[in-house]
Amino acid sequence: MARYGMVIDETKCVGCHACRVACHNQNSLEEKEAYNHLEEREYGTFPNYGREFLPVQCQHCDNPPCVKVCPTGASHKRKDGVVLVNKDKCIGCKYCIAACPYNVRIIKKEGYIEKCRFCIEFVEKGEKPACMTTCMTGVRMFGDIDDPNSEISRYIVKHKLKQFKAELNTKPRIYYKRG
Amino acid sequence: MGQLNITRRGFLKTAAAGVGVLSLTPELLDFKKWVHASTDATTTLVPTICNGCGNRCGIFAYVKNGRLWKIEGNPEANGNLGVVCPKGHGYLHDLYSPARLKSPLKRVNGGFEPISWEQAYKEIAQKINLILLNSGPQSIFWVNYPQSNHLYALRLMHALGSPHYFTHGSTCYTARNAGWVYTVGELPSNDLSNSRYIMIIGRNPAGGIDLGQMKRIVEAKEKGAKLVVVDPRHSETAILADEWLPIKPGTDLALLLAMINVMVKEGLYDKQFIAEKTVGFDQLEDEIVNYPPEWAERVCEIPAKTIVRITRELAKARPKALIHRGYHGAFGAQYLNSFQTVRALVIANSLLGNINREGGIYFPKSAMLGELQPKYPAPDLPQMGKLDGTGVPGRYPLGSYGDGIAHAIPELALRGELKVGFVYHNNPLRTNPNPKRVIAGYKKLELLVAIDTVLSETASIAHYVLPESFYLERTEAIDTKHSGKRAQVTLQQQVVKPMFDTRPGTQIIIELAKHLGIGKYFNFDIEEANRLRLKPCGVALEELKKRGVVEVGEKWKEGFSKLETPSGKVEIYSKTLDGLGFPAIPRWEEPLVSPDPKDPQSFRLLHGKQAIHTHSMTANQPVLMALSHRYDMMRLWMNKGKGSRLGLKDGDWVKIKSIVGEGKIRVRLTEGIHPSCVWLPSGYGIFSKHLKTAYDIGLNYNDFLPTYFDPTVGHSMSSEIVVQVSKDQEVRS
Repeated sequence: MARYGMVIDETKCVGCHACRVACHNQNSLEEKEAYNHLEEREYGTFPNYGREFLPVQCQHCDNPPCVKVCPTGASHKRKDGVVLVNKDKCIGCKYCIAACPYNVRIIKKEGYIEKCRFCIEFVEKGEKPACMTTCMTGVRMFGDIDDPNSEISRYIVKHKLKQFKAELNTKPRIYYKRG
Repeated sequence: MGQLNITRRGFLKTAAAGVGVLSLTPELLDFKKWVHASTDATTTLVPTICNGCGNRCGIFAYVKNGRLWKIEGNPEANGNLGVVCPKGHGYLHDLYSPARLKSPLKRVNGGFEPISWEQAYKEIAQKINLILLNSGPQSIFWVNYPQSNHLYALRLMHALGSPHYFTHGSTCYTARNAGWVYTVGELPSNDLSNSRYIMIIGRNPAGGIDLGQMKRIVEAKEKGAKLVVVDPRHSETAILADEWLPIKPGTDLALLLAMINVMVKEGLYDKQFIAEKTVGFDQLEDEIVNYPPEWAERVCEIPAKTIVRITRELAKARPKALIHRGYHGAFGAQYLNSFQTVRALVIANSLLGNINREGGIYFPKSAMLGELQPKYPAPDLPQMGKLDGTGVPGRYPLGSYGDGIAHAIPELALRGELKVGFVYHNNPLRTNPNPKRVIAGYKKLELLVAIDTVLSETASIAHYVLPESFYLERTEAIDTKHSGKRAQVTLQQQVVKPMFDTRPGTQIIIELAKHLGIGKYFNFDIEEANRLRLKPCGVALEELKKRGVVEVGEKWKEGFSKLETPSGKVEIYSKTLDGLGFPAIPRWEEPLVSPDPKDPQSFRLLHGKQAIHTHSMTANQPVLMALSHRYDMMRLWMNKGKGSRLGLKDGDWVKIKSIVGEGKIRVRLTEGIHPSCVWLPSGYGIFSKHLKTAYDIGLNYNDFLPTYFDPTVGHSMSSEIVVQVSKDQEVRS
């Protein structure tokens, strides 16, 4: 079966936030809620200066700290690689928020924890995640990264892409192309 | 009405989805109940046009359980190629904004009272007919943001006998347009995706978003093109650039003159194109010797050797090389020298031989829409000129008569020459320079009617406010805005039924006309008018309703035989300009004002768009404003070294003051901006108390901009602002 993953080409991100607002609508979030965010970094001294935006969302880790600390099994890893929260099992203890090194989980008003779901309900119908399809510079790729011949797998190998905070051994399923 | 459970992919495959209009039941207006009920709900999808900004992207609107759910990009639309920007996604929530107008309003004793449409039309018509008798038709004006409905607005003004239709152009793009028109005869587009070398001066399509351009720039870069961005600020487009050249603001003309100098001196230009397709190269050769790169370096602060290198690289890539045609920044309506800057930019492009060439500058195809006449006879054109002086020798001879000079309206109102104003989808009190003066002018009007969806600053002082249906609730006139290598016709159509007692702008104009006794020019409805407009294109309205966007006409072809200029060629030397007393060959002109280099508190104030806001219309949208707050985006950009000299730390409050206004704002200290300027994002500073999310958040550059009219086209010279910036000593919690 397909096991999903994503590539984020940070060198193409111009920080417009369309991914966040598209995700907001796709998932019918409340006004201030977001499943993804951008970290802006600046480097150099005028006039030799540059900046970059790092898009961050749930990394759908293969070794997910959130799943390990969840006392009820609400945070769980699926066979297709996606990490989800079962809101009926979630007791809102926030251990997962503390354990996640990517700061991408939010508390819903109803008290349960939620985060990027890779738009899995839509992906199962053959669509792509909303953050990807709205992007004017094509920052994201999405696909089956366990299939060595998929476009995304070949891209990861060709560009020798690495994961974010890989040293934490979280084994994320999102790979970043950095400048 | 078909309710189809359909994905976009499925829709595109069949191109035959049901187009339906859904009504909202009260319980579904509650967001939480709707989310709960909508998990597996049936979804309807309607192709239409986004109104989140003037680009009017092609979109599919998804309605789930009667409530607007989301939008996606229409891949067939040339302007956005299937993607949507944050403003588009965010602005749709304004459909459910508590700030929305729910019925017509009348000003009574300083407040507003709801009235019926019939009463509003009757009273407005009575007042206008009285003023017509006393002051004549030229005392009436209409100002709106350019959109396809201008067809109706123009007809209304002409039927009344007034020439006074205005767009916002004089505060946005009229210098750019005139520079192109007076050199090659029309405003072209950039063939970005096929270009091998793209130079962009001041324009920031990643911030003042142009989705189609961004997709095409990325495509060009993936094919190996080089991107050079010239901007005093490290713009969002500069993030993608191979090189960022932080020019001293107001000196882009010097850079272009030096580039022309290098091309001429080193013989890098397209000799055949210059010989066959241009006039005045000899005069250019004589003038341009005055502007070597070493001179330009002293003026614009880009090293001479960089100027030479960039020019050689551009010329090597020609004709698939271009200097972007520009928009607002850095020469749309910015500086005293903006018109000459555009002239130099067009000439530099022409030397590359790239005019109407693949990978260069090209003239987009246009759709030949049908006319409403003779079936619905048009009123005669008014016989008098515009009071703002556009197109009048001795006033603003190069000004655009079609756009007018909207920021001259307050002056004309204060002089008693304009007495009645219609403001439609526009907010001059916030988006025109020097609001104190704008307020005084608009308040002097005997009758001000605002047509809007919320109580903007301008609507707040109107005598009558006519509530327009939200864009997703209304159908508009056929548009051709997406035309590129092929012409495209687009349709903005109703997706959901109006929630309140609101009406589409076209219907408001038709009904107003009937009450004004000029109904004979408006014996049609939008459906009939759209059918007539589409007729010569060979496209049925039904097909357009299904697809939202349809390509029409022939494909673009490279080359040209004759341009729309007096000589039919590229006018490097312009006899027309010479006759009007303007330089016939571009030459260096200083900006009108400049900061004092010896005074550490003296800066030029620049402004620009952020990707999440449009003019003054999105700051009240909570989803978008949440982003502004989360990322602290209201701040004033200032060079870090300059900030340190003023004793500032990142995030400190400063006082900012010009000769017309002052305010307080926090600073973003960065190495990414030229030390001589500060930069303010342009979407903030809302002062209508009816817009609670946006009210009093951030500042707006218009508060600091004196009322200027440049001598060529009468544009607002919106970067001719010197401000004093100092640390705010007031202690804040």
